[in-house]
Formats: sequence, C-alpha cells, structure tokens
Amino acid sequence: MAHKNLAARTAASVQRTSLAGRVFLCVVAAYLLIPFLATLVYSLFVEWTDILPSGFTLRNYQELFTNAVFWASIGRTLVLCLVSVAITIVLILLAMYVVVAVNRKVAPVMQFLCMIPYALQGVILSIGIISLYTGTGTILSNRMFMLFGAYTILVLPYIYQGIRNALNSIDAGMLIQAAEMLGCGRFRAYVQVVLPNILSGILVSSLLAESIIFGDFVLANNIAGTNYQNIQVFLQANMDVSSGLSSAIVVVIFVVVALVTALVLKLQGAAQNNAKEQA
Amino acid sequence: MENTASIGEKDVRAVGATGARTAPGSAAARVTRRPRAGWLALVPFVVVVALFEIMPLLQLALDSVIGRDSGALGLENYVRVFTTPLYQQSIWNSVWISLLSAVVGMVVAFLAARFASEASPRVRNAFTMVLNMMSNFSGVPLAFAFMILMGNAGVLTLVGQQFNIPFLANFNLYGADGLVIMYIYFQIPLATLLLIPAFAGIRKSWREAATILQATSFDYWFRIAIPNLMPSILGTLSVLFSNALAAYATAYALVMNNYALLALQITSRFKGDVQTDAATGGALAMVLIALMVVCTLVNNYFTRRAAKGRELV
Repeated sequence: MAHKNLAARTAASVQRTSLAGRVFLCVVAAYLLIPFLATLVYSLFVEWTDILPSGFTLRNYQELFTNAVFWASIGRTLVLCLVSVAITIVLILLAMYVVVAVNRKVAPVMQFLCMIPYALQGVILSIGIISLYTGTGTILSNRMFMLFGAYTILVLPYIYQGIRNALNSIDAGMLIQAAEMLGCGRFRAYVQVVLPNILSGILVSSLLAESIIFGDFVLANNIAGTNYQNIQVFLQANMDVSSGLSSAIVVVIFVVVALVTALVLKLQGAAQNNAKEQA
Repeated sequence: MENTASIGEKDVRAVGATGARTAPGSAAARVTRRPRAGWLALVPFVVVVALFEIMPLLQLALDSVIGRDSGALGLENYVRVFTTPLYQQSIWNSVWISLLSAVVGMVVAFLAARFASEASPRVRNAFTMVLNMMSNFSGVPLAFAFMILMGNAGVLTLVGQQFNIPFLANFNLYGADGLVIMYIYFQIPLATLLLIPAFAGIRKSWREAATILQATSFDYWFRIAIPNLMPSILGTLSVLFSNALAAYATAYALVMNNYALLALQITSRFKGDVQTDAATGGALAMVLIALMVVCTLVNNYFTRRAAKGRELV
C-alpha cells in the first residue's frame, strides 16, 4: 500500500515537472529567439512604428545585395577567415609534430601558450598588438599584418584542441613508430600516415574557428577599423545610417553563422556515432 | 590473408629488434640527428606566438609600469587608475554587471539544464539546437536587435507605452539596465550548454533512493543534487563572469565609448579620438588581465574537481 502510494507520488511528480519543464524551456527559448525574430520581421517590412509592422517588402535585401560595399566587406571577411585559419592549422600541425614525434615534454608548454588567448579574449589581444606595433614603421605596423596575426592567435585555442583531440584519438605516436619500423622517416610518416587520419577532426574545429572570426568585431574594429572593414564593422557603421539595411545585415550574418554551426553539429554527431559503433 | 599479416608483424618486430641490436651506433646517430631537425617544425609557431601573443602582453605590462607623467618606472599609473573616479567606476561597473549577469544567467541555465535533461530526447534536441544557434547571436547584431526591441522607439517600448507598462515604456537600454539585459541574454545559452553535461552525471537512482528514505524534494535538491553539481556550477560561473568582463562588441555598439566599463575604457585609451594614453590603458588592461586570470584559475580548479568525481563540496 505504502509502496503504491510512493510509486504514484513519484510518477505524479515526474509528470508535473515535465509540464512545468516544458513551459520553462519554451519561455527560455522564446527569450532567446525573440530578438532575432524581431530583427527578421523588421527587415521584411517598410515600417514598424506601431504595435504591428506594416508594408511587407524585400527592399532591404535588394538594397543590401546590390550594395558593392557590402560585398567588399563580405569578401574581406572571408579572406580573413580562410587565410587566418589556414595559417593557424599549419602552425599547429607543425608544432604538434614536435610533440608527437620529437619530445613530448613540449606538450604542456604548448597547451599553456594555446590557451592564453582563450583566457584573455579580444580586447586585451587587440590593444596589446596596437600598442606594440603602431607607428613602428616596420612591416609589423601594417594594419593587415597585425590583423592576420591577431586572428591567428584568436583561434589558436580552438584549432589546438581540435588537432590535439584528433591526434590522441588515433594514437599518433604509435602510428609514427610503426611507420618508422617499416623504414619510413618520422616526418614523412607524420605527413603521409597521421595527417590523412586526422583531417575530419581538423575540419570541425576549423569550421568553429571560421565562425568565430566571422563574428568578430573587436579585433577588426580596434586594429583595422575603417581601413579594412569586415562585415561586423560594416554593420556597426550602418547602424546609425539605415536601420532597415542594418536589420538585413544582421539576418544575413546570423544565417551564415547558423549554417556553419549546423554543419559543425552534424559533423560532430556523425563522429560521435562512428565512435559509438567502433566501441 | 591472416598468415601474411601475422608474418608481416613478426618481420617488423624482428627488424626493429635486430636494428637496435646489431647497429647501435647508427641507431643512436639517427636518434640524435633527427630530433634536432624535428625541432625546426616548432619555429613558425614560436615566432607567431611570440610576435602576436607574448610580446603584446609584455608591451601592456611595460606600458603599465612606466609613469605617464613622470616617465619613471613605478606604480604611478596604478595609483591613478585606483584613485580616478572614472576608472574606479569602470572597474566597479564591469565587476557588478558581469557578476549579476553571470548569477542570473546561471540560475536560468540551471533550471533550463535540469528540465532539458529530464525532457524527452525530441524536446531536448530541439532545445539544444536553439541554444547552439542563439549562442552565436551576440556582439553588434545582438545590440542592434535589442535597439529594435527596447530602444527609444523600440517595439516593446511602444507596447509598454500603449498598455501602460512602466518597465517597458521607461526602460533605458543605453545604460547599465540595457547592458545587464543583453549580457544575461548571451550568458544563458553558454551556461546551459556548459551545464547540461553535468546533469547527465546525476543518476536517477539517487532521486529514487532519496524518495524511499522519505527525503523531500527540497532535501533532494539542496542536500544531494546541488552539492554534487557544485564544482560544475562554480566552474561555469567563473566562465560566465570572465565572458562578461571581456565582452566588448555588444557594449560598444550600444553606447560607443561613453560608458564607464573596463573593456570600453581600455580600448579608448589606445584608440582615443584625441590622444592615446597607453600608460593608463596599460594599467587598466593589467587589472582586467588579473581578473580574467583569477577566473581561469578558479575554473581550472573546479573543472579538475568535477572531473575527479563529485565526492567533495
């Protein structure tokens, strides 16, 4: 009897939390979605000066997609994303060769150096670079040079962790030893045996890094500013000029980053499923 | 097939063994020569990290200890930072806005993570999807969205005026209130995503055992579940705190440099409209760095503790 009561009580409480839970999750999801949805609606209407918007239009998007400055800033952003991430990948792959094939003792130092940008983030990084190089008259005082350098450092933690996890999961040290026993040089083994095996692992972390650079405003604004406007700086410059156009830019930025995120999640999910099947 | 494979393995082992035994000289030579060339692979990484990470940090430290007025080595800049009202205010505002947004974000995230972990897989996946997507919605786009909603002519401001809701009608987005609301916004997805895995470590049997032992819901949460989650909660809290401390784009897009906030004041010392003041900026930057380093250490401590098993706290 007592048992039955207990069971009923537990079942009832689970039922209740589930309903309260659903409501709570919906409220949180709504809080998170509303600002973006409002921007989306705003971008699709002529005016929104009353409770409800009026006059559906695609004019904002038309204007945006025929704006040469917009395309230029998208182009710059893509160059910054692709080049910086590529540089970081090469730097870390080379450095990780030393960790897996030459001396493992380098690993903690590398980890420390790679995690500093994660702890300090954009503001400190950008002003340190400006303070050090502006007006020195060397090649390093070139704004572009500073910006690429800064982005390379900014994504260091993400790329490093991606590559490290990938190397650990295939036991790179053992693969190199095996290849060496078969008469293959260590570096060749690293390039021809290890790298092809970690490509998919690198892919996920580099996509993540791309989306971080795509969403960056601090470094671009502090280091390059209007000299080399990326998409975020372009948005900021337009905010006071035209709110219609700005809302369309916000939507475009969000859609691009959301697509990249969806791809990352999908690849991660696939990787997890693979791991489960193997185990 | 199987035979050749096993023979192949044996051969490898044999070659390795004889190689090591019969030609010790050449093997030793190889071992010493190769690694030296191998170290070269570290050079590009070291150069870039030195140029764009280590040296800029040293430069800030140097800026901070060379007095702006005296030009001498000393703590002059730090004294100025801690005695000038604007800078005092900036440090204080940064700390309390970050702390408040972290705590509120944490409470919401705790409940959300709890409900998400109890929900059906379909609901949980949908909710995690929303979190992942909206965690990207920050910085300048976020500030813009809130201007549309709660700015001077914002939609919610209008609603507030028409339906007589003072909180919405008189909401001041361009100040501390606005910053807090927006910071909470970007803390929630981050905090929830960090906490959901911790809830996975809570076993259903604990709840059942507690119920059988006549524990109330309050007992269960405050004596079993929350103490268990404490390392994850405190670790996440420090991540949120430093996340808000370092946030710049959201605040800048909203109020430009016209607010006493650490990140804004530091930046405007270095790219001021009139004149740069690297000495003061450097000292302010070191204050921010110190706060962030403390957060990182706290987080590392609790992450290790959470990983070690949840026996303590």
